[in-house]
Amino acid sequence: MVLAGIVITLLGFLISVLSLAMTSGVGGRMVMVLIGLAVSFTGIIGIINRAYLKNAIWRK
Amino acid sequence: MLAAASLGMAQTSAAAPVAPAPVTTNDFKNVDTPKPELRVKGDPDGSLTGTVADIAVADSKKGLTVADALNQVGQNKIAINFVWTLITGFLVMFMQAGFAVVETGLCRAKNANHTMMMNFMVYGVGMLAYWLIGFAIQMGGVGGVANLGGAAPLNTEWTITLFGKPFGLFGQHGLFLTQGGTYDVGVMVVFLFQMVFMDTALTIVTGSAAERWKFAAFIVSSFVLGAFTYPLFANWAWGGGWLANLGTNFGLGKGYCDFAGSGVVHSVGGLTALAVAIIVGPRIGKYTRDGKSNAIIGHDIVIVLTGCFILAFGWFGFNPGSTLGASGNGSLRISSVAVNTMLAGMTGSFGAMLYMWMRYGKPDASMTGNGLLAGLVAITAPSGFVNTVGASIIGLIAGVLVCLSVEFVDRVMKVDDPVGAISVHGANGLWGVISVGLFADGKSNYGGSWNGVNGSVTGLFYGDAGQLVAQLIGVATLVGFVFTLSFVVNLLVDWAVGQRVSAKAELEGLDLPEMGQLGYPEFELKARPVTVQ
Repeated sequence: MVLAGIVITLLGFLISVLSLAMTSGVGGRMVMVLIGLAVSFTGIIGIINRAYLKNAIWRK
Repeated sequence: MLAAASLGMAQTSAAAPVAPAPVTTNDFKNVDTPKPELRVKGDPDGSLTGTVADIAVADSKKGLTVADALNQVGQNKIAINFVWTLITGFLVMFMQAGFAVVETGLCRAKNANHTMMMNFMVYGVGMLAYWLIGFAIQMGGVGGVANLGGAAPLNTEWTITLFGKPFGLFGQHGLFLTQGGTYDVGVMVVFLFQMVFMDTALTIVTGSAAERWKFAAFIVSSFVLGAFTYPLFANWAWGGGWLANLGTNFGLGKGYCDFAGSGVVHSVGGLTALAVAIIVGPRIGKYTRDGKSNAIIGHDIVIVLTGCFILAFGWFGFNPGSTLGASGNGSLRISSVAVNTMLAGMTGSFGAMLYMWMRYGKPDASMTGNGLLAGLVAITAPSGFVNTVGASIIGLIAGVLVCLSVEFVDRVMKVDDPVGAISVHGANGLWGVISVGLFADGKSNYGGSWNGVNGSVTGLFYGDAGQLVAQLIGVATLVGFVFTLSFVVNLLVDWAVGQRVSAKAELEGLDLPEMGQLGYPEFELKARPVTVQ
């Protein structure tokens, strides 16, 4: 689960960088970068952190 | 007729301006120097000190020449910039003391020695890592710093070609400050100033992991951050790397712009703080069994707010110092940068205080202090590019944002951050980076260009949407790449050293088990009962 979160967080960064090659318009690039950011935040908050919360010390 | 005569005179004077006579070496022969018999009597009004007699002469037989005078002018300019950059660097170094007391005050007394010791040693650990490796990675290919006389040896960047454009990834000159010709006076100034910035990023992490971070793990983790993670992103933003060149290569504004480091320093530190806090986990007693958050109060609000003042003072080095000079290339903007800095800190403290007052009925002291810091963090990137109204708005938003972020991190993510470092530096660092793309007013002019693109940095509200995209790509890099790198590094540290102290040591307080000495040996520390439901 943590590994999947790492991959997805990194994927968001790659989507943002790919915006430089896939479109030359400012609007198109902005949309792709925002999608990349959303993916990265999902990886951190939704996957990595959630995986750690499952075994958090306060649950024991 | 008189009018015609007047007009004629005016036309004459306008048509034939008196050209200044060129200065020659002969002109210097007639310049009086203070007589020795006058100098020995002292110079109470300062009129005899600092004259033509003090200009170094290359050939005593020729006497003072035009070349001598011009060389002195050039050296004076660089000397002003050296002194400015060094002194502001000294101010930034003193911010370590501010961070130390803020973090220690927000922790419990039983961890005072441990928290202070982390903040103390992060200075040395970071400096060692940066001197050995980090500086070369960050600045080894910057390609010259005009305000500091060039720093010419920093000229080798490792680059790949991507999408048909060069992508600078890391520098290669400057290991041990000797390799690649970097035993150089200008390089030394660059090193000192950049080193204290890097150390600021490192000390952010000690706050989020305080009260349960194993000291050995802290040493290893901080070394890697100072040697690799921080310098890598700093190279991309400040060292001639690919983010700085988004303007020249892809037409996105002036490329990624981060005047003094909301992203480079604070977001890198804040996101690494998040990674470490997730791995280390919350303190015992921070959350109940059903996940409800308990407030764990710090032991000394007096030193917390004192530390905030020290940091606000140090920030006058952080932001105005980032011109790397006070003379030439638009460096007189230091006045504007300094005023923007103080205004954003002020509105940040107001934003947080009013939010807490309205939401919880009291103007919370620690959050008001964090609001000041949040405003300062947020204005760090845009301080050189915005006007005072923009700076005030950026700071005000930061003051509210830090409160919202603390609540989100604490209650939704359930990540334990004893000092609010993730929100102050991480969230507001990102906000500062974005705010450049919104509020930069296009009036700054640092030598006519920024990041190799002619013109002034201009944000969306002043007509350049491309600048906002460049800033957002920087944010995506911080969140997607820097966080990931920090997380993986600290997973490895956890595997190799173990990040967290034992539960016994944590309950006892880390001062004795980890450091062997209490922070306050003459105090009788009474543990507050912690109920776990």
